[in-house]
Amino acid sequence: MKTIVETNNVKKIYGSKGNVFTALEDIDLTVQEGEFVGIMGPSGAGKSTLLNVLATIDEPTSGDISIDGTSIIKMNEDQLAAFRRDKLGFIFQDYNLLDTLTVKENIVLPLALAKMNVKELEQRVDVVADKFGIRPILEKYPYQISGGQKQRTAASRAIVAKPSLILADEPTGALDSKSATDLLESLKTLSEQDKATILMVTHDAYAASYCQRIIFINDGKLFTELAKGKETRKEYFNKVLDVLSALGGGANDVI
Amino acid sequence: MTLFSLAKKNMIGNFSSYLVYFISLVFSIVIYFTFVSLQYSKKIQDSIALSDIMSFMFMASSIILILFVAIFILYSNSFFTRKRKREVGLYSMLGLQKKTIGIMLFYENLIMGLLSLVIGILLGTLLSKLFSMILIKLMGSTAEIDFSISIGAIIQTVIVFMIIILFTSIQGYRLIYRFKLIELFHAEKKGEQVPTTSLVSTIIGVILLTLSYFLILRPFPDDLNGSYIMKNYGLALVTLVIGTSLFFRSVTVYLLKLSQKNKSRYYRGTNLIETSQLLYRIKGNARTFTIIALLSAATISFFGATYSGYYGNEKSSTEDVPFSYAHLSKGQEFDTKIENIINGDKEHPITAQLDIPIIEVKGKLSFDLGYEINPIKLISVSSFNQATKALDREETIKLSRNQAAVIKPRLTEFTETDFKGKNITLDQTNQKLTFTTMVNGSVLPFDFPDFYVVVSDDMFTKLSKQLTPLTYKVYEVENEKTTEATSLKVSRLIDGDFQVHSSFYTEYKEGKEGNALNLFIFGFLGLVFLAATGSIIYFKQLTEASENKSNYEILRKVGVSKKALRKSVNKQTFFVFGLPLTVGLIHSSIILHFITNFLSNLIGASIIVPILTAMGAFVIIYIVYYVLTVNTYHKIVNK
Repeated sequence: MKTIVETNNVKKIYGSKGNVFTALEDIDLTVQEGEFVGIMGPSGAGKSTLLNVLATIDEPTSGDISIDGTSIIKMNEDQLAAFRRDKLGFIFQDYNLLDTLTVKENIVLPLALAKMNVKELEQRVDVVADKFGIRPILEKYPYQISGGQKQRTAASRAIVAKPSLILADEPTGALDSKSATDLLESLKTLSEQDKATILMVTHDAYAASYCQRIIFINDGKLFTELAKGKETRKEYFNKVLDVLSALGGGANDVI
Repeated sequence: MTLFSLAKKNMIGNFSSYLVYFISLVFSIVIYFTFVSLQYSKKIQDSIALSDIMSFMFMASSIILILFVAIFILYSNSFFTRKRKREVGLYSMLGLQKKTIGIMLFYENLIMGLLSLVIGILLGTLLSKLFSMILIKLMGSTAEIDFSISIGAIIQTVIVFMIIILFTSIQGYRLIYRFKLIELFHAEKKGEQVPTTSLVSTIIGVILLTLSYFLILRPFPDDLNGSYIMKNYGLALVTLVIGTSLFFRSVTVYLLKLSQKNKSRYYRGTNLIETSQLLYRIKGNARTFTIIALLSAATISFFGATYSGYYGNEKSSTEDVPFSYAHLSKGQEFDTKIENIINGDKEHPITAQLDIPIIEVKGKLSFDLGYEINPIKLISVSSFNQATKALDREETIKLSRNQAAVIKPRLTEFTETDFKGKNITLDQTNQKLTFTTMVNGSVLPFDFPDFYVVVSDDMFTKLSKQLTPLTYKVYEVENEKTTEATSLKVSRLIDGDFQVHSSFYTEYKEGKEGNALNLFIFGFLGLVFLAATGSIIYFKQLTEASENKSNYEILRKVGVSKKALRKSVNKQTFFVFGLPLTVGLIHSSIILHFITNFLSNLIGASIIVPILTAMGAFVIIYIVYYVLTVNTYHKIVNK
């Protein structure tokens, strides 16, 4: 099995002399192809920083990160942009859809940027749209659709270019439970059937219980890991809650 | 804390968003004040002879300026309040009374207005000095301009702007009453609807524009009268305005949507981002585009036409007054006096001196020319040829017996075929003459009716036995453009021989002054329009930039490089600047084509060069604005 993400001693320090804050410390992380991995931890633990560093939006102070076999540390601005375009897909809490584009155009965007030919591009959009059940709203604009539909659009955009890694930052944060469940089911299917690699930051133990493995972070360090194994989702959910209460603070987010 | 100090703190706190509004206020005041103080400047009024015309021109221009400045300030004010609706909503949420908020906004506007008034007048004083120097330079006059502050100009500026400022302040006061709280909160978020195209309005837009061009370009009818001009060009103007507006509203949308249809182009790189963003805002932009296109068209046309006049002045003066001096002989004593004056000017030695005898007689054409010909002025072919030679012209003619040649009447567009082979019968003698040719280039100053007929020497001698000829004495001197002192002396003795001046210099100088003034006023107004249209686009793009900031952030996350984003910004801004400018240029070429037809005879020079200069200058200033906008836009979205 292929290793998609590999980090070595990743460290991120904010601020300068006298007023330093260590957001990440010695993070070693490995994610295999087709894994659906959750990242959890209390507020301020460094989850988002980790995701941003992996997303190449932020750069680590030291350490090495390889994604799909390529080190991203020494890349320049333009190389990083191209890398994001070709290898990464993003799903954000606040959707990050362009309001000037229709749903379809939003999904098409990464393919258009990669200058794919129209025929294949249309085909891919159709496949993805069916997967997330958004075919009827393809011609609508973001302001005409619901939050759940927006998030499914964002997810479609994230996977349409078949990226090596999909990064999701609190994707269910702004969704009602029905929409959240729909989205999580879709992500799960994606990882199981299409071998998509997904890394999801979440506060929500329910959302996390859809993952195969959860990494807990506290104060910028790896705290523990929890693999699902053969347990049912319900059992796994309870285990997650246990870890969260051990971490402290996390339990408030259950409800 | 008093309300006044809250308003003051607001301004200091939100400095950057106030700055833009403040600058446009100051800008408007500077422009207006500069213009008015020129109007009030004694020196300028004294230094040109055409004071009546000047004060009228200045008056008309200052009215246009007031209108324009008022619109511009209201525009930037609405731009400014739009950005602040949220803040106002917040005050209301926090429990401030509507009245209190209103009064606060009123104060704020007032303070800013007064401050900009003071700064504007100070800057304007400096600028007016500069501009009056430019005007004097253009007119070729040597008058000194003092650096003086005109009280009248200050009072007029203060009154005009106090009215405008009070109006915007009251608008500010009413803001909180005009909108519901919820509207205030969603002011910036409200998405613009993607426009729907109607094929009908697109077609109507194109038809109207075509119609308008047709009306402007069609040749004059034979019977050209005031009501035709009013109807034809009035209709042309209306169709042009409506057509332009429809063009931007429908035709551009149609074209953009059409470009979306071509999927393989649309879904390539950042094309879909640019197209969709332009489409998304086109409705809001359409009106601005229309105004800008029409303003640029008007500015380029007027400026081009006036510059042509200035440019062609020498040629038209030469045409109107061919010799350096010309006068009607009034006896030996008088003629010698003039000759002595001209001879006495050693800096401008005489190169040629002629007597041109003329017979004035009434007559009748064998056809209808549509031009008043009586009294006809007859000139002998040898006098004419001598005169042309003295003026260094090539054209000489040969005539025998009752053959005759017409000298093309100035300010008309007759051609040889209008006359050739046709006859004229002179009264009193009943002599019949046949036209064999038409020549260009008169030898005497313009005098209506400008109908000179060259006849054979035999015929002239024969006719002069019955009709006493008048003798014109003409002089050609070196450097006729600088004969100020002598011309003045000559003019005092001989005025009224012709409808134009007797000396080339006076005609030249007068033309130069008049044209320079026109050029200056239109140049000044043009500059104002240009600066204002440029600034409107600039503000508009920057508002867009701050609204689009998040979009660009998303695009960067999705993997668009900064370089590609920059390109995309360039492309969009280019469209926004280029489209109205192109339409404006096309409009103005059509209008200038018409003006050329209408004026080329008056101006008498090729006006291609000045027109291209005017257009070129316009385009260059636009490019500067474009670069400025792109850079700021880029700074905002791509930090």
